[in-house]
Amino acid sequence: MTVKKIISIALLVVGVAALALVPTVVESESIINLLIMILIYTMLASSWNILGGYTGQINLGHAAFFGLGTLATRLLYTEGFPLFPSLLAGGVVAVAFAMLIGIPAFRLRLRGDYFTIGTLALAQILYVTVGNVLPKITYLPIEDIQNYELDPRYYVILALALLTIGVAYVLVKSRLGLGMMAVREDEDAAESLGVNALKHKLLALAVSAFLGGLAGGAYAYYQTSYYFNYTFTPPWSLDTLTMAFVGGRGTIIGPIVGAVFFVVLKEWLVLNVGEYHLIVFGVLFILVVLFLPGGLVEAWERIKQVLTRRSRRGEFELLPQEES
Amino acid sequence: MLKLEEINAYYGDLQALWGISMEVNEGELVALIGPNGAGKTTTLRVITGLLKPTSGGVRFHDHHLGKEPAHKIVELGISQVPEGGRIFTGMSVLENLELGAFVANARRVKDQSLKWVYEIFPRLEERKNQRAGTLSGGERQMLAIGRALMSKPRLLLLDEPSFGLAPILVEHIFEMIREINRQGVTVLLVEQNVRAALELANRAYVIENGRIVGQGVHEDLLSFESVRSAYLG
Amino acid sequence: MLAAVAQSLAFGILVGALYGLAAVGLNLVFGVTRFLNVAHGELLMFGGYASFWLFTLYGVDPFASIPLSILFLLLIGLLLYKVLFSRMVKLPEGDKIRNTLLVGFGLGLILQNVALRLWTADDRGITPPYAGEAFTILGVRFPIVRVASLVIAFVFLFALQLFLRRTYTGKAIRATVEDWEAATLMGINVHSVYLLAFVMGAALAGVAGTLVSVGYSIEPAMGMHWTLKSLIVMVMGGLGNMTGTFVGGLILGVTESATSILISGNYRQVVGLVIFILVLLFRPQGLFGTKEG
Repeated sequence: MTVKKIISIALLVVGVAALALVPTVVESESIINLLIMILIYTMLASSWNILGGYTGQINLGHAAFFGLGTLATRLLYTEGFPLFPSLLAGGVVAVAFAMLIGIPAFRLRLRGDYFTIGTLALAQILYVTVGNVLPKITYLPIEDIQNYELDPRYYVILALALLTIGVAYVLVKSRLGLGMMAVREDEDAAESLGVNALKHKLLALAVSAFLGGLAGGAYAYYQTSYYFNYTFTPPWSLDTLTMAFVGGRGTIIGPIVGAVFFVVLKEWLVLNVGEYHLIVFGVLFILVVLFLPGGLVEAWERIKQVLTRRSRRGEFELLPQEES
Repeated sequence: MLKLEEINAYYGDLQALWGISMEVNEGELVALIGPNGAGKTTTLRVITGLLKPTSGGVRFHDHHLGKEPAHKIVELGISQVPEGGRIFTGMSVLENLELGAFVANARRVKDQSLKWVYEIFPRLEERKNQRAGTLSGGERQMLAIGRALMSKPRLLLLDEPSFGLAPILVEHIFEMIREINRQGVTVLLVEQNVRAALELANRAYVIENGRIVGQGVHEDLLSFESVRSAYLG
Repeated sequence: MLAAVAQSLAFGILVGALYGLAAVGLNLVFGVTRFLNVAHGELLMFGGYASFWLFTLYGVDPFASIPLSILFLLLIGLLLYKVLFSRMVKLPEGDKIRNTLLVGFGLGLILQNVALRLWTADDRGITPPYAGEAFTILGVRFPIVRVASLVIAFVFLFALQLFLRRTYTGKAIRATVEDWEAATLMGINVHSVYLLAFVMGAALAGVAGTLVSVGYSIEPAMGMHWTLKSLIVMVMGGLGNMTGTFVGGLILGVTESATSILISGNYRQVVGLVIFILVLLFRPQGLFGTKEG
């Protein structure tokens, strides 16, 4: 156990404990609401990241999974089903849909970009269809509205977020995760090394969809009322993408950083420059794509490199010159 | 006319050319021969600017070529027939030839050049409105050479013109190359087919593993093991 | 009943021409440069607004404003190319497509919100004095404005084909598409070709935008909608196949109308998306394209 690892684990424990203690320490409801949004966004970004960041299949319609999760969970919960099965159902429905599309798509060796624009179309189809079939607003059950309790919701969502990150972490560190990254880097080379690209892509898709659906379920449990098709709208997909990219896709912590950064920046921007926040995000996104593909995580790594190099300059001069 | 001085070139981190130096004088027909992967095509890419050398220089008529972007090389009078010809298969024979005369000075005399090319390669005139993709291997090579001639080059670079062609066609094509040279175009020919190249050229350089290992005329080169085995083998 | 069906189909063809025109613009850009600019719809939107404001502020007839719309979009296209897209020229094809898609994504977001800030979310449309006029054939009404748009779309398609087939520059473009290294050896500056294709594609989007603003309506969020339409039609028509793309647009327009009649108006948009996915899955070279992808 290296010192670094001990510190990381300690930080993690402290962080989770701190988050768990928030409702007991903090009075302000708006802070808890903010944290809930950050947690839900974290789930969105992390779930997207499994398919997009680690496996290299860019999904422009993640809102489809999120939306399906909200739909399933909401419908079941308002019919009286207990919470946890409802949440689970959210994830399951999202996966079922993902497989329906993913199997033919990946089976037919659809080129990556075709998959990407296909997801765009798919999310749009769901949005329009749900809007046609259920054009109304959905409300939480009356008892829930009258006795709306924020704290239990906070805990449930915190647990779900931790679950999401945990699943992502375990998956990524496993052999499967290695295979997914190989597929991302070079699918043909991966195949020649014995990595079954189809299997890995489908698995990543399934996990991504399930966790995205769970995030939707969380939202359905939390939000009092919204239009049924609201959770299928493009901003949910765009925001997810922005968070994952700006935070740093292909890392575990990237989506978390991205979600926090996004929500905080959005609040700040809305207060200070009003509706221009979307333009700012658009610019940030482009800058990341062009100049900093690893996002904030990469920026942080680079800063660290510069700092450590400065302090260790003396050491380096003693090493033999390397041919560049 | 053309002078390469100590060219070092890399593909990424891999060094492909080591201190290549060679010369082609006006009116000559020079061959660059060597086995597969020796660096022949790479050398041509350095001359035409598709690959920038890390050190050394290319001079054409005392004009330093290092800084020129690839598409400007044609204007200076150097035209290349790339390996395999790389004709535009979706376009007609005539369109391919017209594109050969893309640069301004060549475009002005396009009709004249066309006549000249048709004289050398009458088959192209017959097929001028056909889609280039329908041509046979030998015809494609003719088209590729004809296209390169449309820019009225002073120096013509040929990358493996015999590749994939039946021996009788090779003879035919090489005869035309000789004719082109006779009409005043300096030629630098890159070839794996040592026999044909040596019969055609005034002089040849031998390249192996990215290095020039010898040069001379026909008989001198036979002393090289690789040349000999290629020649006799 | 039959009259209603015929009317719907007629409208389908008329709007299909605009789908086709927009898609041809995207096809030109993607075919030559392999940039998948998903902000294409936003460029179209800007073309529409240009004509709208020229009409509203200065009384310029929308059809007469087309050259100005083209100029405007040529400039915007130039700016976008120099600032953003030129940075991605050297990338290998897979990365190039993906990165331009992403950048286009962000760009679309920016452009949409700029338009929102500047001109509000209200629907806008140009109503020239002759807006209500139409000629009627066999009981089917053909609004003059939309018919004129169809004609203009055809004219631009035709002009583009002429340009690509008959001019030296056009041939240089086609050569670059086939083999850019060989094109370079002919003295063709590939960068210039890319730039030209990009701004021409933008200009075509601008023309389509103008026609949309006069025959239909425009608003800042329309971009994504039109980008999807362009993508659908481009994929249907096949890469590099301009005429096939245009025909694909007409087919889409008619299919949407048919869906509207047979199923419901609400699913009009969905059918195009479904066709899109089916084509992507089973015939990625397009309905008319050759196996190249």
